Amino acid sequence: MNELLLIILGVLATAIQVIILVILSIISGWFLAYASIKSKIFENIYIIFIEIFESVPVITFFPVVLIIFITRIGGPLGTQLATDFLVFTAVVWNIWMGEYQAFKTVPNEMVEVTQNSRFGLFSKLRYLYIPFSIPRIAANLFPSVSDGFFYITVSEVFTVGVHSYQTFGVGSVLDTFVADANLHAVYLTLLILGIVIVCVILILREFSRYAVSKYTLDTDAPILKRGRLNIKETTRIFAAISKNPLSRLSRYYKYRENERHEEKYEKKEKKKKYYRYGYGAIAILLLILILYESVSLVLSVKIDEWYTLFNGTGYLLYSLGYDYLRVLTILLISMVIAIFLGYYLAVHKRAEFFGIPVIQALSSYPAPIYFPFLFILTEPYIIGVFGGFTNELYVLFLGFVSTFYYVLYAFWMGVKAMPGEYWEITKNLKLGFFKKMRKVILPSTFPYLISGISSTINSAWGGLMIGEYWPDIYGTHSLEIHTGLMKTIDLATANGNIALAAWGSLIFGIIVAVYSVVFTRRMMDVAQEKYVAEEGVYSS
Amino acid sequence: MEAKLKNESVNRVILEAEHIDFSYDNGYKVFENINIEAETGKFIAIIGPSGIGKSTLLRILGGFLKPDSGKIKLMGKQLYEPTPEVALIHQSIVTFPWMTAEENVMLSMKTKNMSRNEMVEKAKVSLSRVGLEGFEDLYPKEMSGGMRQRVAIARAFAANPHVFLMDEPFAHLDELTAEGLRQDIYNILFSGETPLKSVIMVSHNLTEVLELADEIYILNNIPASIIGRVEVTMQRPRNPRSDEFNSNLDMLYGYLTPPRNKR
Repeated sequence: MNELLLIILGVLATAIQVIILVILSIISGWFLAYASIKSKIFENIYIIFIEIFESVPVITFFPVVLIIFITRIGGPLGTQLATDFLVFTAVVWNIWMGEYQAFKTVPNEMVEVTQNSRFGLFSKLRYLYIPFSIPRIAANLFPSVSDGFFYITVSEVFTVGVHSYQTFGVGSVLDTFVADANLHAVYLTLLILGIVIVCVILILREFSRYAVSKYTLDTDAPILKRGRLNIKETTRIFAAISKNPLSRLSRYYKYRENERHEEKYEKKEKKKKYYRYGYGAIAILLLILILYESVSLVLSVKIDEWYTLFNGTGYLLYSLGYDYLRVLTILLISMVIAIFLGYYLAVHKRAEFFGIPVIQALSSYPAPIYFPFLFILTEPYIIGVFGGFTNELYVLFLGFVSTFYYVLYAFWMGVKAMPGEYWEITKNLKLGFFKKMRKVILPSTFPYLISGISSTINSAWGGLMIGEYWPDIYGTHSLEIHTGLMKTIDLATANGNIALAAWGSLIFGIIVAVYSVVFTRRMMDVAQEKYVAEEGVYSS
Repeated sequence: MEAKLKNESVNRVILEAEHIDFSYDNGYKVFENINIEAETGKFIAIIGPSGIGKSTLLRILGGFLKPDSGKIKLMGKQLYEPTPEVALIHQSIVTFPWMTAEENVMLSMKTKNMSRNEMVEKAKVSLSRVGLEGFEDLYPKEMSGGMRQRVAIARAFAANPHVFLMDEPFAHLDELTAEGLRQDIYNILFSGETPLKSVIMVSHNLTEVLELADEIYILNNIPASIIGRVEVTMQRPRNPRSDEFNSNLDMLYGYLTPPRNKR
């Protein structure tokens, strides 16, 4: 096949897959969000599910994906589904959460207008809930598409033990060119991918602008916070009670009519109740399926293997400690850059006009694609300066480029959303940069910062997963660090030791979920209670 | 004084609330034995102190909330849920920002078996009725607060309601806009061009209430109950600067403010 055509097809296949999976996330999210506002059982299960999976990095799913799709389904279909599932899990959670939050915050007055006109499910979705969720979807599209590109290029080619699996896309095309040492084709692929990503980003920017200008609420109807309404909704019906037999007789026909209405109403209420139970049943069924899969997975591992896994847990936790130090380093660097650059972009319109699209395009350009070339070009110099610390530096770099933009965007948005009065006060008091930052800007952007920090931490793991063990980047050159849980999981996967990979991922998932509950959520609560200026928490 | 307490029962009742009791989820009892009747051709106002539950009562009357006990009847039939025949107009101006004025109005016809052309035609009529002819293609954010409230009213009209429930509809407008809209709305309401038969409005603005209402229900106490029912017989148009108007105003204040101790 013509080389250029192959590249274009590969890039388009990747881009289209990402876009289709994002669209799938959006559509499924609408129905799930609607089900969750209609059924408390469904909502409770759904939200716990999203919150855990949103806080657990996507790479946690890798071994599970391998087991389900590669070993059970197998063949090209299994490989394709594995790739799609990984990308889906990368893009889906924040879109689903955004849609749920949007549905939950639809002003009651607007819901009452649709009730007044007796709208059914699809009319409500079409005319109210879906349009209302568009700005939040637009806000979540940038990180979702960036993550989608990042993970699809990683998961298009992967190795388990002696088996290598690949699906058609830019990752596999590039892999072929690298194997053939066809550098011309490699650079052309990178260029075309860059052009496609810039186009996608430009389209998303236009869409965001359109979404904000058209769909943002302009009414003064109060926006509900997440949570339950405080209005009693009883479904009791009172039978018509007459005072005496005569009046009962005289009003017989009237009551007959009322009874018919009551019957109709009762039927309708019953139907609603069935729907609620239906949503709840679906949620419970999903929960049972997940539990069943988990239990059968646990049972499939032999006792002595469990013994080995338990014995190795201490080392896994020790390795995770190393990784947390790396994440902390990445976070600190990202925050320093975010605070200075984000502030600069927010207060300089010209810089913002040019800077934001460039950063958006750069952040969407998947690091796994361009990193090997950067590595080839810089490794000799970096080794000369940093010696044995070189690989560590590259891993930190990979973690940084895969995540820094979250906290940057969040802080930039926070500064932009600061009430004008705050700026006037800082001018009035003639506060210097650092005092202004400490006393006004950081506290008022706190909810945004916490949200950005949380996403940055979650995404940093992706970079570590790729960087901690990357064999044969070119020639015999590999990237490998001394200790790290991500390296252990990578190595186990590459050696076909799925049990260890899955156990490591489970330990990792539990620690991250616990961390999310005890730290991130608490910080969000503090942000909400103390630092929220207007709708900071919700819009961030 | 033209206003007088009204005790006699009424005929031609369109919407009525019978012995309504209502409590919030936390057990707080809001209403006890509320009885309200809205006759054909009458503009009913419900007044009461802030936080007494006026908006909640309006939602019970519209079938949006279920009472703990008692019944709401629309033209003799018990009302169990919201219906287009009883249109609610909110205190906050509720327009859908992603729809033009015309599309906002067409929203209330979406569940009816009407062709798009019919809907467009009817939306135009409704908009022109509230003085928005020529503004059909504007989006709410291109409109003033008064215009947006007119769009919301036009949307309610387009559903052909028998009863309007108005929840302080002028509260978010400046005084001049509110005054103009009040007069326009009253004239439109009972022009006979629509199937509208009665209006129930809640408000804490006593001047507004005296300008518009034929009957005033006064809510007070905890849990809230109707402590008085006043028929306003002043000639229209009513002049808020007249002595008669002011004496009526004083009487309403008397209902709502606790007696002060004399020094």
